[in-house]
Amino acid sequence: MLDTGGVPSTSTELEALRAHLGDAPPAGLRSLPDVHLADLADAISQARRHQREALAAAGDRALSHVPRLLRGPIRRVVG
Amino acid sequence: MSGATEAVQARAEILKLARALNRDAGTLHYLEGVAADDLRAFRHQVIEALWSADGAAMGKLAAASKLLPAGVNATISERALGPVITAQLAARLDPARAIDVAAKLSTPFLADVAVALDPRRTSAVIAGMPPHRIGEITAELVRRGEYVTMGQFVGHLSDEAIRAALGAMDNAELLQIGFVLEDKARLDRLLALLPPGRLDGIITAAVEQDLWLEALDLLAHLSAARRRRIIATARSFQEETLDRIVAAVIEHELWEEAQLIAEADPGLQVRLGLARR
Repeated sequence: MLDTGGVPSTSTELEALRAHLGDAPPAGLRSLPDVHLADLADAISQARRHQREALAAAGDRALSHVPRLLRGPIRRVVG
Repeated sequence: MSGATEAVQARAEILKLARALNRDAGTLHYLEGVAADDLRAFRHQVIEALWSADGAAMGKLAAASKLLPAGVNATISERALGPVITAQLAARLDPARAIDVAAKLSTPFLADVAVALDPRRTSAVIAGMPPHRIGEITAELVRRGEYVTMGQFVGHLSDEAIRAALGAMDNAELLQIGFVLEDKARLDRLLALLPPGRLDGIITAAVEQDLWLEALDLLAHLSAARRRRIIATARSFQEETLDRIVAAVIEHELWEEAQLIAEADPGLQVRLGLARR
């Protein structure tokens, strides 16, 4: 990973992080160099993708442990 | 707060953030210079963002789980959902229902869930867990060295559950958990629940395990009466112990904290005075 030790940012990287969080990050984070702000935004994006994929896979696996009689009602709830 | 204490708090926050992001903590090394309070606030923002990202799907999973007996839910949690999704689900279930399911889960799996749990959203579930289960989970987390995880839960446990947890750790482990406790204002209450014999052993644990950074930080957060009680057990320190205390004070710049313990030991006062020149 690059460590620029660079200049605090008011950049698109900060805006990307703000968009992921729905709010501005705390002051101590806002003064990080762009490369680190971009890394944090990317980490949140990857974590969301990982969570979405894990959830989809878990839902499929879970159904195989549900008693057969209840699978229909469960499918209707899950949609 | 000394620089060393702030640095440890920041590292604990980075570890918790890394877990929330499913990253290795080493990849976030560049956050080490950020204040612990800012890191905590940022971690809460990240958890909030992840929580709301799949809210609809998680909500459906929670609704489906209501149709199933607790035992089936526990089987599904351990074999299909895994600890991270189970931790999120626990926050969306009625607490009584979540506690029923937890009763059927294995202790190692519950320890995995504890690592992923957001205590702010699951306070009622944590508070409602039977104390003996808290003791079992604590023993497992202590075995894994998960001090940071345990430090998040203290503020949510009943006194009885805290006693059970304290029974699952020794004084050296207590010092290390206390050092990374999320809410240090709880430390005095925590120590109030220790049996008297254990309280007398705090300084002994610091001596034996060389945990002076942790011990001095603990003393700084206690009421004056409890601090006096603990320090009184130490009487006078051996030469080797005095050397170690002074070394910790110099290394971590704990001059202020060291005064708390030096007041009861003239020998230590002299050494600290010499070391500061």
